[in-house]
Amino acid sequence: MGKFSDKDILLEIKDLQIQGYSDETWIDIIKGVDLTLHRGEVLGLIGESGAGKSTIGAAAMGYARDGTRISGGSIEFDSMELTTATEAERRALRGSRIAYVAQSAAASFNPAHKIIDQHTEAPVQYRIQKRMEAQEDAIELYERLRLPNPEEIGFRYPHQVSGGQLQRAMTAMAMSCRPDLIIFDEPTTALDVTTQIEVLAAIRDIVDQFNTAAIYITHDLAVVAQMADTIKVLLKGEEVEQASTEQMLKSPKEDYTKSLWAVRSFQRPQKKRPTDGTPPIISVKNIDAAYTGGVKVLDDVSFDVYPGMTVAVVGESGSGKSTTARCITGLLPPSAGEIQFKGETLPPRYTDRSKDQLRQAQMIYQMADTALNPKVQIHEIIGRPAQFYSGLKGGDLKQRVDELLDLIELEPSKYYNRYPPELSGGQKQRIGIARALAAEPEFIICDEVTSALDQLVAEGILKLLDRLQKELGLAYMFITHDLATVRAIADEVVVMQHGKVVDQGPKDEMFTPPHHPYTDLLLSSVPEMDPNWLTTLLEERGVDNVGEAADV
Amino acid sequence: MATFVFGYYAALIIASVILAYVDYKKWFLMVFSLLLVSFVAGIVGGAGALEVITIFVAVLATAAAVSYAFKFFLVLIAKPNLAKELKTAPLTAAFGMFVIFTYAVAGIFAPLIAPHGQAEVISGAFAPPDANMLLGADQLGRDIFSRIIYGARNTVGLALIATLGAFFLGALAGLLAAVKGGWFDQFMGRVADVIMSIPSLIFALLMLSILGTSTWVIVVVVAVIYSPRVFRLTRAVAGNIVVMDYIEAAKLRGEGDWYLIRREILPNSTAPLIAEFGLEFCFVFLLIAGLSFLGLGLQPPTADWGSMVRENATLISFGDITPLIPAAAIALLTVSVNFVVDWMLFRSSGLKEQ
Amino acid sequence: MNDLLLLVLKRLGFGLLTLLVVSILIFFAVELLPGDVAEAVLGQGATPETVQAMRDQLGLDRPAVVRYLEWLGGAVTGDFGVSAVSGEPVINAIGDRFVNTLFLAAYAAVIAVPFAILLGIVVALLRNSVFDRVANVLTLTSISSPEFFLGYILILYLSVKLPLFPAIASLSSDMSLGELLHRTFLPALTLVLVVTAHMMRMTRAAIINLLASPYIEMARLKGVPPWKVIVRHALPNAWAPIINVVALNLAYLITGVVLVEVVFVYPGIGQALVDAVSKRDFPVVQASSLIFAATFILLNLAADVGAIITNPRLRHPK
Repeated sequence: MGKFSDKDILLEIKDLQIQGYSDETWIDIIKGVDLTLHRGEVLGLIGESGAGKSTIGAAAMGYARDGTRISGGSIEFDSMELTTATEAERRALRGSRIAYVAQSAAASFNPAHKIIDQHTEAPVQYRIQKRMEAQEDAIELYERLRLPNPEEIGFRYPHQVSGGQLQRAMTAMAMSCRPDLIIFDEPTTALDVTTQIEVLAAIRDIVDQFNTAAIYITHDLAVVAQMADTIKVLLKGEEVEQASTEQMLKSPKEDYTKSLWAVRSFQRPQKKRPTDGTPPIISVKNIDAAYTGGVKVLDDVSFDVYPGMTVAVVGESGSGKSTTARCITGLLPPSAGEIQFKGETLPPRYTDRSKDQLRQAQMIYQMADTALNPKVQIHEIIGRPAQFYSGLKGGDLKQRVDELLDLIELEPSKYYNRYPPELSGGQKQRIGIARALAAEPEFIICDEVTSALDQLVAEGILKLLDRLQKELGLAYMFITHDLATVRAIADEVVVMQHGKVVDQGPKDEMFTPPHHPYTDLLLSSVPEMDPNWLTTLLEERGVDNVGEAADV
Repeated sequence: MATFVFGYYAALIIASVILAYVDYKKWFLMVFSLLLVSFVAGIVGGAGALEVITIFVAVLATAAAVSYAFKFFLVLIAKPNLAKELKTAPLTAAFGMFVIFTYAVAGIFAPLIAPHGQAEVISGAFAPPDANMLLGADQLGRDIFSRIIYGARNTVGLALIATLGAFFLGALAGLLAAVKGGWFDQFMGRVADVIMSIPSLIFALLMLSILGTSTWVIVVVVAVIYSPRVFRLTRAVAGNIVVMDYIEAAKLRGEGDWYLIRREILPNSTAPLIAEFGLEFCFVFLLIAGLSFLGLGLQPPTADWGSMVRENATLISFGDITPLIPAAAIALLTVSVNFVVDWMLFRSSGLKEQ
Repeated sequence: MNDLLLLVLKRLGFGLLTLLVVSILIFFAVELLPGDVAEAVLGQGATPETVQAMRDQLGLDRPAVVRYLEWLGGAVTGDFGVSAVSGEPVINAIGDRFVNTLFLAAYAAVIAVPFAILLGIVVALLRNSVFDRVANVLTLTSISSPEFFLGYILILYLSVKLPLFPAIASLSSDMSLGELLHRTFLPALTLVLVVTAHMMRMTRAAIINLLASPYIEMARLKGVPPWKVIVRHALPNAWAPIINVVALNLAYLITGVVLVEVVFVYPGIGQALVDAVSKRDFPVVQASSLIFAATFILLNLAADVGAIITNPRLRHPK
């Protein structure tokens, strides 16, 4: 921390305690956290969901969200104590000296006003600038943040601008009064990787240029490595450790931090296609698909999945990967082409398929919360497919359910009668897997199964899926946007963009150059643990050739 | 009179001092502001105004005390899960439950409670209250108190049956529309739109003028008129559930519509549906009361609250509150149901925020 | 802009279609009668000659479809045929009365709408305070009371015990506006009480719903003062629900008016409808039902169009 001297302390939080209201009582969610931030310093707050990162971010503005309260400790901003200040005093800081950038810019811009009117609201209210000056300043900021058409973009309404651009416009808005401190609350989490880069680059530039201090909240280590001078790791409302970024990346001290780093090490050997002429278990042949309304979302998609293998389908949102899954399961009949199962054509609509055809292809969903009926007991969720397809009853059924719970490493006697809301995210995902297994399928579609989970838990799920594949000889179609997961588990990779397959092949070939340009863009856009990764990448590509503007 | 006024202020002052001493800020503020209000009221309205305030406060206090005790009673006899929820119920909801309970008792045991038959003429028209007749006689010399007790059975019973009918029709259509989707969903939606685009009272008047006013006609007409409301709500609630992945999983497993409704959708929609049942009952009850007030409800000599108001309405111009009693009985039950529903809705919305 | 126009036109067309279906429903409901209108009106004691005479008068011998088309054609031009009881044109019986009803509804609306929306915004600002709780109990009580209960209470206290206003709202054409407003004050007040409670609750719910949006939190974190959060950030997005609340309650006024008119013996179309129902004067019943339904549909239509027009996403397409 040698870069910053103690004289320049901007924000000092001591023994902060925050409580949240639930089930008629106040529960501690932040349990005594200290934080010191110097002028011009960027502090990365990282942790898994429920660690309290976002709550601390809001508290740094003296703000407690509805249903929470600051119950102890002190928050001193530029030698002003926020916990004892009046509401009016605290409000006078917000927007002018401390600004906030929210996770979803699309939801955080008011749909009823033009972007620039929302931008100029704070400077005009604080009488820092006249309206016209503020507008000119906004346009200049837009230019610095490399927004397209800076002269004109502010005069649009939020819904007329894309997500990545809105996020940059929100950063510009935060800059409008040249604050001393900006809180970035997961600003790129909702964005695709290729869009994420341009926003990251823009944020980093502008923070550097104005020498603004920032608290950067995220769950993504690689992202925070690019942005922060110092990193603080949180777990369940408590600090685990804090160190400068380089030190943290090189030699984390605590076990928990080390485990976070270690997550990305899981890898399994790659399998080859069978050479003895076994037909693919699922064969997608030249399918086109369109939703009602006529817009074509899939265009001539073909790939094969062989028994016992994992095919990863990757692409950004809107690339058509989930739609392909819907075509395979028969929820969306393709408008052209066909789906073959072991060489035999499946009826396009699931209602026309036989029980056995339905049984053979199962699905595991992204959100375990919506994939399991909250009002049905675990044994019935898992037991129903066994009962439905195999006609098991009574003791046999119970035995089968116990067997399945054993398979997914959950104690049968403990979970048999519980309901999904009583389980953790990882346990719910395991139940989802057990339900798929109960049908005794040969092929399972895994739709972003790990993206809603914390990294350690996700790792456990990947290992489980891998073990099950070996034991039961399953074939997986693994839909994901996360290339780290692909590296870990895939045998073959299919890259999709705008409803088309742009590139496919065995994993090792796909990850070694030369790549297809889009694959290259995807691969190079994934943040790496190296603090200089973003800088290097921008030098390679040139600042004007990132993200949406990239030349593919 | 002077002693009453003196005692009144003395009691309030002593109460505020005690509360101030033990530092019960909320209660002190309430009692002290009551004192200030009474001060003004006493000067402007004299002792009469103070009496009104006393009666008002006494009624409120009694209601609160009864509700508090009733809530404690319910918590004790309910199962642990339910008891935990009941503990969080505000006094208004407890009051509502108590009133509903009372009405149910009055309705079920009407012949045992009422001293006279509902059609029995026992004295002259508009006879004043006496030892035999608690509330006096109506325009034909029948005991008003007995008729009000019987009214609890007739009016509330009719409304309950009509609500059940509306609920059955609406919920079934709503669930089927959500599961089946497609043209069936569209068609049912349009039918509901059309029925709802005619004001309910007007629609009821039109149909009853054509079909007559027998009990079953009323039940069917009212059920049909109100079923679209239930349909829309059920469709919306079920619509939020059918998009869930667990429904997709069940569909892909090959489950039938009936299984989806029974095992997957219904268990997740009971809370809003029960609340809607309460609301629906209020609407139906008020509509039926309105119809019978207009003379198109249950036909005489059956005791019915709405028609009792109409029959005795002339008494109002003599400053007699008798016709207001059955009207108040209607209002009290509706308020009570609304109190309970309000709490249930608050609970379910409160859970969503977490 | 074209999308918006298309959407509005679509909605208008749909409203018109609904009105048509409703008119069919109202006309053909009468065909459910055992026998026909003439028999129903005259009762069992009537001689075949008088029944036949009425059939001729009402033109009942022709097919129902023809009569429907004629009826609909007439209705568009304000001609609803003749009364089955008096033989007079229906429009004479209900025309002036409809104007009276509109006057009463407008009277109540002018007081209730601004009052209720303002109060609704205030309780939304003060949500979960004592004031909010008391308002909640009072409004619930008010919407739970039948209109005739409120009406008679007002008569008892403001007319009988304290003779401030007349209990019976009789009108004549030579009254001054002041006198008119005084005479019709009690029925208007009854309506105001019921409708205000409804509107207040719905406005409060609509605003509280919006206050949970991320952009409201963003505004707060930008240091925008609370009143400005409501006025500048919440209100522009709340227009659609508020317009809906107002239209729904205006529609309610039009029908709630029936009971109030009976309580106060007010010469409106509601009274006429109730009289016609008891006399089984079907042409009048049909005409008043159609008028009520049309007003109702029109108001809902206005609300939907209002919601479409105030939606910024639709007003400024991509």
